[in-house]
Amino acid sequence: MALWVPVAMISDPTWLSLLILGGLAGLLALDDTALAQTWFGQPLPAAVLTGYLCGDPLTGLAVGLPLQLVLAGNLPIGQTFTGDSTSATIAGVAGTILAGNHLPQVMVGNPAGTWQLLGWVILGAGLLSLLGHFLIQAERRFNGIWMLEGLRSLRDGRLGRIERLHIRCLLTTFLRGFASGILFVMIMLRVWIPLFAHLSPTLQTALGTLPLLLPGLGVGTMIDRYGLKTSWPWVAAGMVCTFLVVHYVA
Amino acid sequence: MKPMTRKLQWTLFLRSLTLQGSWNHQRMQNLGLLWTVLPWLRKNRGDVNRDRIFCRRYYGFFNTNPYLANFLFGGLIRLEEDQDAGLELVPGMIGTFRDSVGRALASLGDQLFWLGLRPTLIMVICLAGLLGHVSAVLVVIGLFTAGQLLLRWMALRKGYDLGMDIADLLIDPRWHSWIGRMKRAGMVLTGMVAGLYLAQVAELGNSADRNLLWIGTVLGMGLPVVLRKRLPGELLIVAALFMALVLTFAI
Repeated sequence: MALWVPVAMISDPTWLSLLILGGLAGLLALDDTALAQTWFGQPLPAAVLTGYLCGDPLTGLAVGLPLQLVLAGNLPIGQTFTGDSTSATIAGVAGTILAGNHLPQVMVGNPAGTWQLLGWVILGAGLLSLLGHFLIQAERRFNGIWMLEGLRSLRDGRLGRIERLHIRCLLTTFLRGFASGILFVMIMLRVWIPLFAHLSPTLQTALGTLPLLLPGLGVGTMIDRYGLKTSWPWVAAGMVCTFLVVHYVA
Repeated sequence: MKPMTRKLQWTLFLRSLTLQGSWNHQRMQNLGLLWTVLPWLRKNRGDVNRDRIFCRRYYGFFNTNPYLANFLFGGLIRLEEDQDAGLELVPGMIGTFRDSVGRALASLGDQLFWLGLRPTLIMVICLAGLLGHVSAVLVVIGLFTAGQLLLRWMALRKGYDLGMDIADLLIDPRWHSWIGRMKRAGMVLTGMVAGLYLAQVAELGNSADRNLLWIGTVLGMGLPVVLRKRLPGELLIVAALFMALVLTFAI
């Protein structure tokens, strides 16, 4: 497997590291809706980027892949929920690496029971994403208030106000991503990952199974999105061919 | 018709990237729309009353697809130029054009990008991830980024050239043919991800009872289809934890 691993920019949980991670979270928060929408803010690319930044892209892949699959159905049409999966993913990956852990990719290996920790990190990222939903909604309410302020320009014709209001909204999005990125990394690093050692063995075993169940749920969500009647022949064709090739040929 | 200057095209293009930067529940993209077309007004300043009317025209409820919005922005600038040059337009025509074309592009964009291209690309990067190609994830997203930026740049010019004739572009049957292809590709890729995932589950050598894991996998794939609630992925993670606990007790 060809893999380019850069020198880690972030290897210790210092304030500088947190600022860099916050900057990444801010930029990807902008990308999510406000600026260009390149999809680098999707869980898997965001996790890989964070992994590269922290010097361990494989841990980024391990966390990002199950998250990406289970969040694949979160499409921005006809929905009222908007979780902050970007900041949560960054926190999951960065928190894991900065706490001195390396996670293997699901299905590839399970050295010393690290799937349990992976399941715990994914659960934490999911809950942080839910928390981020409220921050995004608050930001949008502020946008609404500032937009109404712009009505004054319709009376006095001052265009500078419109410019300032829009830039203020963009800055708010960046700052929201920046702040929630730092906050989530701190929660993951100082609270969530240390808590793992105190979990009961039963819960730890269940957490080891969690990453294995998420891809199935993600695939099921996509089949539901496409419509079962329409999609089943295409999905079945892709599934059967790939399964046979991988299981019996490769 | 005078051609759009390169400087104006660059300014509009860069500003159009932040169309949703001030998204709000009341009027959605209205502030972003006005901010995008403002450079044209600054270049063609009139009296305060004209500027006020211009702002009012673009400050009502507005929502469209961000990737296709530049077709509309180009068309709007063309209509503004025509009006400024003295061409008689039916009163309210620019507003009607904005609303009707915006809605049509929103519908096309939802189908093409959100339900077509995005699931397809997500499944491509997941396949790359399942096969362990970390850098490929970023390369695929990078290629998409380059493609969509090029589309936005070209759409601005195309919309400006077409003006009102943009309707001809919207009724082109190739849009729907592309939407169908994208969705089918997404379905096949979803199946490929499922196949690869099942093959990897079948080869697992860990201590968990593999049969129960199979049951969990099949239940997991079936749950969203049976529930049909379109739950957010975050809630599916919590649901998966309950399934994992049940499986653990069964083991």
